Amino acid sequence: MLLSPNAMGPRLRVGLYLTTGAIAAFLLLPIVFIVLLSFGSSQWLVFPPPGWTLKWYEQFFANVEWMESAYTSLKVALLTTLCAVALGLPSAFALVRGRFPGRELLYALFTLPMIVPLVIIAVAIYALFLKLGYTGTLFAFVVSHVIVALPFTIISIINSLKLFDQSIEDAAVICGASRLQAVIKVTFPAIRPGMVAGALFAFLVSWDEVVLSVMMASPSLQTLPVKMWTTLRQDLTPVIAVASTLLIALSILIMLIAAALRRRNEPSA
Amino acid sequence: MKIAAVQLTQSPAGGTPRSARLARWKGSLPLLPALLFLSLFFLAPLIGLLLRGVLEPEPGLGNYETLFANSAYARVLFNTFAVAGLVTLISLLLGFPLAWAITLAPRGWGRWLLSIVLLSMWTSLLARTYSWLVLLQASGVINKALMAMGLIDQPLEMVHNLTGVVIGMSYIMIPFIVLPLQATMSAIDPMVLQAGSICGASPWRNFFRVFLPLCRPGLFSGGLMVFVMSLGYYVTPALLGGAQNMMLPEFIVQQVQSFLNWGLASAAAALLIAITLLLFYAYLKLQPESPVASSTAR
Repeated sequence: MLLSPNAMGPRLRVGLYLTTGAIAAFLLLPIVFIVLLSFGSSQWLVFPPPGWTLKWYEQFFANVEWMESAYTSLKVALLTTLCAVALGLPSAFALVRGRFPGRELLYALFTLPMIVPLVIIAVAIYALFLKLGYTGTLFAFVVSHVIVALPFTIISIINSLKLFDQSIEDAAVICGASRLQAVIKVTFPAIRPGMVAGALFAFLVSWDEVVLSVMMASPSLQTLPVKMWTTLRQDLTPVIAVASTLLIALSILIMLIAAALRRRNEPSA
Repeated sequence: MKIAAVQLTQSPAGGTPRSARLARWKGSLPLLPALLFLSLFFLAPLIGLLLRGVLEPEPGLGNYETLFANSAYARVLFNTFAVAGLVTLISLLLGFPLAWAITLAPRGWGRWLLSIVLLSMWTSLLARTYSWLVLLQASGVINKALMAMGLIDQPLEMVHNLTGVVIGMSYIMIPFIVLPLQATMSAIDPMVLQAGSICGASPWRNFFRVFLPLCRPGLFSGGLMVFVMSLGYYVTPALLGGAQNMMLPEFIVQQVQSFLNWGLASAAAALLIAITLLLFYAYLKLQPESPVASSTAR
């Protein structure tokens, strides 16, 4: 009866629905607020805004630093996605299909970057790159992002690979395909949802990464979150609201893609 | 290259004695690139950092002594645990009704609620934190609304202190409670609760003695995960918190960037890692199985 709204009694039901509405509103509040603010005309972020304007968007797109940092972010995120999938795909195959000792331990090692606090990973790699003189390079950004993106990619691919029946791949081999052909033509299409999800995760992790990027950044090379971070520490200009709104739009877009992929794969599953 | 590696796993082992010895490691080769990458750029720097804590400025445990003896540093430790504990409690209190409503709402509504949770989780962390910074400031919407309602006479100080940190982080952690908890709740058999009420339990009694205990796995794993994540969080405390009341992650960054005191930073990092891994081990013990373990009996 506590799991059926009709049987739970009017007072409890209404109470639960009101509480839920309030909490859902709480979750949406900062997101909706920031989007509205990016169109508000007040320099001092007065709310409700005295008028509506697109001038902060103009400022954002006209500013070379914002544009360059967005471009760097995109470059870093795409390279990170590529590397994370290239490293994660074979690792996932080995972890699921290999029969060697210490697999559990290796799996733990591969997920460790997800557990160790980001700040510590950032400080550790910063120390290394500082010695090598790599800070402020594209290489430093990508390497540090791949470390934290890799576990997400590996886990997504492992999950879909475990659902795939290997005897189908074996059947292709028996029918005359080489193992490599079978993997590419049979297994890859079957585990594509996991591969795409892994790639999307890697992209989002990199795109939204702040702590590592702040450590790796130099005045001449920074990602969008770094530019937001440094601007935020000086003042709360509405241009940051514009950057935030664009980031939110991108998150929604990626969520929709993920949802569409899931829906397409549901009937066959 | 990766495809070639995959193929190598599958190729049958040869008959020479050497390959017989290597057969034990059959299928491990594709792991090599990722393993090499992580050893070089993750494990080695991490070990290097931890070593600095006992080697700099001179070998010994001096940094650890400083960390525990100095009352200002002890305050940082206290803040870290207090904030993480409070954030866990608040996000559990707010996440529970939400997970419950998602479980029992009609399918369409449940999906909408779940989408809101996912949207808030996937939205850029900086964007959300910036939004809270503006919302909570002295001239911000929340203070104005409270003053308009006559609840307060002066603006409350809700940013650049621990209040702001707790509000912002609880907000961020709610999805991490809702998702595992909702999974636990939807697996509960409604008949069990019906049995409770047939046997004469009042709704309250049924809630506290039957429903809540059945939710415990989700509450535990969600809560523990949030606590661990909160201990290591940097961005939100750095932006919403004040310079006076730091948490451990901010302390580590400050020691590195402002004071170049790598020894002390490393000792604090070692402490944070030890606590995190210990709690995470407890979390794993609560989980039914590891994702790769299912095919081999332990």
